[in-house]
Amino acid sequence: MDQVINPFLAYGLCVLGGAGVCLALPRRSMTPQIVGALVAALAGGLALLVMGLRNAAHLPNIYFYVFSLIALGAALRVITHPRPVYSALYFILTVIASAGLFLILSAEFMAFALIIVYAGAILITYLFVIMLATQAPEEGETEVLAEYDVQAREPIAACVVGFLLLAALTTMLFRGVSELPQPPAAQPDALLADMPRKVERVLRTNGLLKDGDKLITGRSGDLTSVGSDAGVITVEDSQGVVRTIPRSEWPEDLRVKNIEALGFTLLRGHPGAIEIAGVILLMAMLGAVVLSRKQVQLDEEAKLAQARQLRLFRETAAEGVTGRSMT
Amino acid sequence: MQLLAPTGFLAQTGFPVPMHEATLAHYLLVATLLFVIGLIGFLTRRNLIIMFLCTELMFQAAGIAMVAFGRYHLDFTGQTFVIFVLTVAAAEAAMGLALVVLLFRRKESLDAEAWQDLRG
Repeated sequence: MDQVINPFLAYGLCVLGGAGVCLALPRRSMTPQIVGALVAALAGGLALLVMGLRNAAHLPNIYFYVFSLIALGAALRVITHPRPVYSALYFILTVIASAGLFLILSAEFMAFALIIVYAGAILITYLFVIMLATQAPEEGETEVLAEYDVQAREPIAACVVGFLLLAALTTMLFRGVSELPQPPAAQPDALLADMPRKVERVLRTNGLLKDGDKLITGRSGDLTSVGSDAGVITVEDSQGVVRTIPRSEWPEDLRVKNIEALGFTLLRGHPGAIEIAGVILLMAMLGAVVLSRKQVQLDEEAKLAQARQLRLFRETAAEGVTGRSMT
Repeated sequence: MQLLAPTGFLAQTGFPVPMHEATLAHYLLVATLLFVIGLIGFLTRRNLIIMFLCTELMFQAAGIAMVAFGRYHLDFTGQTFVIFVLTVAAAEAAMGLALVVLLFRRKESLDAEAWQDLRG
């Protein structure tokens, strides 16, 4: 931990951040919430700054700071804003900022999936429920905030627990981070062997593969010659002459994209999990329909009124039919 | 200028290059902070919907940590796992919000403390 951040400084910042979050939570008191938010922001900013100074050689991308400050600030606003609708909107901001973090981590597909699924679908459900489940203000009076939104429950105890957890987690994480095994060497072309059609298409569009040329494939159709160690693509032309295309001549389109690698990991590595995820979604849909269906209880009078209305409707319809046939 | 140049996602550098542990530690710090903020929100807020929203915040934090670890190990399993987390979060939101609507119909209030008698 010592090489990432000074432990005592980290614990001091945890205390400061806890105090700030505690002050920022909604409650009836003298200090405005903004003071607490500023203290918490100061603690978070200082933590990032100290870590950055200590590891000046391995700073993350500068957009990391932009996105993470937006994400953390919006998250703080989610839990401190007294109006639920605004909380949900700030959560969308958190989602978008963490999608930015995913982009820096070169997880492009996940970034956009996060925006579409979270900000586009889940949060809209939340907004609908918030609007369904709030009492409309009476005629002529301005909207008042519900008491349970204004007053937080046990803010001090929760902040102590939360930031104790933070101190413990960061201690363990930063201690473990320096003992992580070195990451394996990148194998950017390892998946190309499984994508013979992509390789052929890209090579043809770039003019590296003439008419009559064909890629040399293994027994099961994979490109045995392409690999992380080989770095060449073997091609046989119409006369049976074998030549190789070294990596230095490979076009840029040939590199494995994030979505392709992710697709192979997902569909080849975890096919059973996808089925289970589908079942979970189906059960959730059924459950939501069953749970939220409104059972309409009709008393005798209402049933009579409905029957009368139905009979009236039928009679007018019949009259219309007979009237038309007479003319 | 080196700092401002985007790496990885716009620079077309191809496959991601290995990342240093100290850089990973930054992402883990952000993920932990997000998780703790979500936890505090879950403990302190009394509005049922906001409590659910705070669990989603914690999901986000877990997602960031998993993608960062996957990036460090140059492995795509972390991102795959986030897809499943998204699935479960969607299912959980649908069920949980249906329950919240039911509870609201009973007591006309979203206060979690209105349901203290469920404690038994």
